[in-house]
Amino acid sequence: MFESVQQLASGFTIATTFYNLFYCLIGAIVGTLIGVLPGIGPIAGIALLIPATFGLHPTSAIIMLAGIYYGAMYGGSTTSILLNVPGETASVITCIDGYQMAQKGRAGPALAICAIGSFIAGTIGLFGLVFLAPPLAEAALAFGPPEYFSLMVFGFIVLSNVTGTSLTKSLMMAIVGLIIGTIGLDPVTGDARFTFGSVSFLGGIEFVAVAIGLFGIAEVLTNVEKPLEMLEQRVIVPRLRELYPSLQDLKKSITPILRGTGIGFGVGLVPGPAPVIATYSSYMIERKISKHPEEFGKGAIEGVAGPESANNSASQSAFIPLFVLGIPFAPPTAILLGALLIHGVTPGPLLISQHPELFWGVIASMYIGNFILLILNLPFVPLFANILRIPKKILLPLIILFCITGQYTVNNSVFDIGIMLLFGALGFLMRKWAYEGAPLLLALVLGPRLEVAFRQSLMISHGDFGFFINRPISMVFLLATVLFLVIPLIRMTLKKQRRGEVKQ
Amino acid sequence: MNRYEMAGGMVLFLFGAITALLSLRMPIGTFRMAGAGLFPLCLGILLMVLSGIFLLRFLLKKWQSVKKEEFPSEIPGSAMQVLFFMGTMILATFFFKILGYPLVSFLLMVALLRILGMKQWPFNISLSLITAIASYFLFVQWLKIPLPKGWIGL
Repeated sequence: MFESVQQLASGFTIATTFYNLFYCLIGAIVGTLIGVLPGIGPIAGIALLIPATFGLHPTSAIIMLAGIYYGAMYGGSTTSILLNVPGETASVITCIDGYQMAQKGRAGPALAICAIGSFIAGTIGLFGLVFLAPPLAEAALAFGPPEYFSLMVFGFIVLSNVTGTSLTKSLMMAIVGLIIGTIGLDPVTGDARFTFGSVSFLGGIEFVAVAIGLFGIAEVLTNVEKPLEMLEQRVIVPRLRELYPSLQDLKKSITPILRGTGIGFGVGLVPGPAPVIATYSSYMIERKISKHPEEFGKGAIEGVAGPESANNSASQSAFIPLFVLGIPFAPPTAILLGALLIHGVTPGPLLISQHPELFWGVIASMYIGNFILLILNLPFVPLFANILRIPKKILLPLIILFCITGQYTVNNSVFDIGIMLLFGALGFLMRKWAYEGAPLLLALVLGPRLEVAFRQSLMISHGDFGFFINRPISMVFLLATVLFLVIPLIRMTLKKQRRGEVKQ
Repeated sequence: MNRYEMAGGMVLFLFGAITALLSLRMPIGTFRMAGAGLFPLCLGILLMVLSGIFLLRFLLKKWQSVKKEEFPSEIPGSAMQVLFFMGTMILATFFFKILGYPLVSFLLMVALLRILGMKQWPFNISLSLITAIASYFLFVQWLKIPLPKGWIGL
């Protein structure tokens, strides 16, 4: 433990260099803007800005991209409270009581509690990360190809279970992602697959293009489809002096903040859209244990404090599986995995020992980033709120121009812009047909690693599938996977039976 | 489940079938020494099975609980807006290298603003011009990104 503290101190030395502080600040500001602006979420935001980090040292690059991620989590709450439009999915819950508070002229305290709660959650989450990541990394050294394969399968099943309306549909999307991931050269034999004789396909499908298409372009197209008059909304802009919460507000919020932090941290460690589940769970728990549950939905500050803290804490602990196992459990961390690989860093159990400057530097920068966001968010809320006044008919073309330019800079390839547009159209249709994009993206990023782990396991075991069950850790993951598949089926059958009994 | 979701299921079934068929043209190998086609073949079959189950469940309901959502015979105005938007982006991509970044960004902005209802030409053109110049200075001059110059040579 003492070693971790020492390493963290060295991380602070790295994070407080002029350049790293600068990139942390840029990441926090850009992230907040991305979170504030409806139409571009953290996934598309991070994907878009990966090319801007090409010239940077990997540590500075990841510091900036991580800053965008948690900055977006902060910023997302602003639109939820002021506009009743969540800037990103994790802020949906904040709309319920946050907007009601704004309607009652209490937008300032709601925003302030969001920032304070997020800061406290970020601080506690950081300590969790510091003390949990190194021992987990050591444990993960025992993982071989079958364990990685089973863990990834488990991740897909859990993610598919918790996203969207149907497990079958989410699983189908994950398989589509895996199939798209096989395009290009076979990682083992080097044979070309699904390239149709084109050189452009040999390198595979660029995941940045898929991410921007599915989450950026598709969101813009969804907005374009709405009637023009619906694109503009009234923005409530609080004054600076109205931002300070009362002592009573703080008293009411402190326990929901601490509870939200705990819930968020735990949820962030398991596969799935952690911030979304964490905010929802925190809101439900706060409402259940509240002495005045009737106030929820009418502007209860606890309904803002708990979920916002859970949101920030979950996005922080989501870095643990990414850094320690090299396996992202959610799309934003999947994009960060892609960014790490682009910068020549392979996350996994050896990351802490092989790249301590990156691991501890990024962790320390997260704390600094949280502090920057606390300072930034409160006084600049009126400014961010004014950005929301930019009409969408101007904002949407600007986002498109930025998407096209950003995508071209990844590989200087017009072909990649075409891929981005194709996935944009696909993402738009998927939204209409209620198919989730998150499992597809995660499968695309993890697909090649899953395939290699699968084939290596079978090579080691001479084609024996029992190998996956004979290894204890792998068996635990596979058993958990089966449980996740079977439990919803049992529940559904029981529900049907009950309905049948009621009818009889 | 509605008919749009069913259409999605059909597309996925077809996608799985095509993947499986194309995989069969590659070396399959054995489980001990898998060829390039084995993994995508398994995925294609799995997708066919899942989408098959999905479609079967839909058919078993025999349209009873299906929401009566008909495919529209005419494309609504808002959908036309999406089509125009998408078409403009495809055109911009096609002419990206030929016309060059500054000109494409200007024309793209003019067209997209117009589609979204910016009908005053002077405002539309000046806003597009400012955006094109600003993005040119940001990406080409400041960030030194080698964007296509096209025939205007900028």
